[in-house]
Amino acid sequence: MSARIWSVAELIGEVNAALAGGFGEVWVRGELSGVKVAASGHRYFQVKDAQANLSCAMWARSADRLRFKLTDGLAVLLRGRLEVYPQRGALQLIVEEAVPEGVGELQLAFEQLKAKLASDGLFAPERKRPLPALPQRLGLVTSSSGAAVRDVLKVLSRFQRLQVLLYPVRVQGRGAEGEIARAVRWFGASRRVDIVLVVRGGGSLEDLWAFNEEMVARAIAACPVPVISGVGHETDTTIADFVADLRAATPTQAAEIVVAQLEEQDRRVSEAQESIAAAIERRLERSRLRLAGLEGARGLARLPLRLRELDERLRRLAALPPLLRAVVVARHRRLDGAAARLFHWPVRFGAPRRRELVTARIAIAGERLRALLRRRSVQLTGLDRALGALSPVAVLERGYSITTREGTDAALRDAASVAAGERLLTRLARGTVRSLVVGREPAGQGTLFDEGGPGTGNREPGKNPTGSRGARRRHE
Amino acid sequence: MSKETFEEALAQLEEVVAKLEDSSVGLEEALKLFERGVKLARRCRTQLDSVERRVEQLLAESPEGEPGATVPFEEEQE
Repeated sequence: MSARIWSVAELIGEVNAALAGGFGEVWVRGELSGVKVAASGHRYFQVKDAQANLSCAMWARSADRLRFKLTDGLAVLLRGRLEVYPQRGALQLIVEEAVPEGVGELQLAFEQLKAKLASDGLFAPERKRPLPALPQRLGLVTSSSGAAVRDVLKVLSRFQRLQVLLYPVRVQGRGAEGEIARAVRWFGASRRVDIVLVVRGGGSLEDLWAFNEEMVARAIAACPVPVISGVGHETDTTIADFVADLRAATPTQAAEIVVAQLEEQDRRVSEAQESIAAAIERRLERSRLRLAGLEGARGLARLPLRLRELDERLRRLAALPPLLRAVVVARHRRLDGAAARLFHWPVRFGAPRRRELVTARIAIAGERLRALLRRRSVQLTGLDRALGALSPVAVLERGYSITTREGTDAALRDAASVAAGERLLTRLARGTVRSLVVGREPAGQGTLFDEGGPGTGNREPGKNPTGSRGARRRHE
Repeated sequence: MSKETFEEALAQLEEVVAKLEDSSVGLEEALKLFERGVKLARRCRTQLDSVERRVEQLLAESPEGEPGATVPFEEEQE
């Protein structure tokens, strides 16, 4: 019997035929080692257990379908066909499919991508941008027909002063990640929105998968506009959540973050307006009371300077009502506008009570201010008249004069207080006389006035400078 | 008006309120603060109210270009 002589190629060809016939498709369990990715995209690695080692090749077209990455040490189940690689005569497994053991495939892919992006710094807290002060224009990335868009719009209807621009995308299935990433990029480039919401309602891990794709994560990270994610239910976490600037548990919550921010800003402005109105009311009331106090006899003594001050203040007050009126008118106009919108959004619009209250308060403050102004004008006219009678100018005009010792302000009232040789200043209605004392007469001897009529006229102006300065100190 | 202006105006407004509520401020100063506060509040309010409610949807992208055209989004009425 003569042995058959094979050519090497023939022999290996026959072995390969036998392997295909004898084994067909096989499943093998083991651990990966020596994983290499060739420039062509093919993967070469070993699968081994404690006793044995098998070379494997996975062509690019199969490998590209993998959601997770083949890494050394990974426990896997491999499906493929055995063959001898003719050029090297080595047995190898041509892998068609690889499945991670222990954890699910998606879970593994999730963990792998999460680790990769984390090491790239995409989740770093310092990357997170704060919510814009006024997120009034929203870009919404979601399906136009899902529950998410309904939930979001329902919450957003609580605040009327915002705009929503929906970029409809598929949120599940192959290719969804491309649409989502593209929508995020578009909003980032368009500058038409202040904030982007990337949302999707609940579903299985498989359903939510698009939000775990690297291209979506990269698009969110690169988006110049802050992004809020709200994917799935409270318990679901996606890669998009990690990379977003703000993570909401659900689409509803994502919308609530925006509305809460706008309502907060609205509240701060309203409160400030209210506080301003209340504070100025209090302040004016205090001034009014002080003015009322000036009507007393003691207050009259300080009138000339006070009067100038009041006059100045009143001129300022006179400038105010138009300002207040403008505010009140603006607010009324807005409420009218709100009423008009009520017609278009019958279900959703509820006029914020607080604004009406503030409007009313400002209107009341304005009314009070005007009333106060009128009262003050009346008071001022009365006081002006009283002052006219007392005015030192009027008294001097009648022929009286005020005499002081040179260098002092105190008016002289008693001849006994001057000595011969002192210099005096005598103020007349027009001009001043400087004189030298040559002598004096004691009180009651041949003076022009027995009673202190002109003395009253003299005393008040004489006191005036000190009195006014004292008053000013007290009030500032 | 930019968004920064809103934030700044609001911060300034709240500062004005704090000063105005300080009872040691003189009347002159109080009136100045009041005028300033009213102006700032109006600026903030204008900014807050500058947007009219609108819900729109971008039209599907044409093969040769990016979307940009919009149509109103039909909200379902419950």
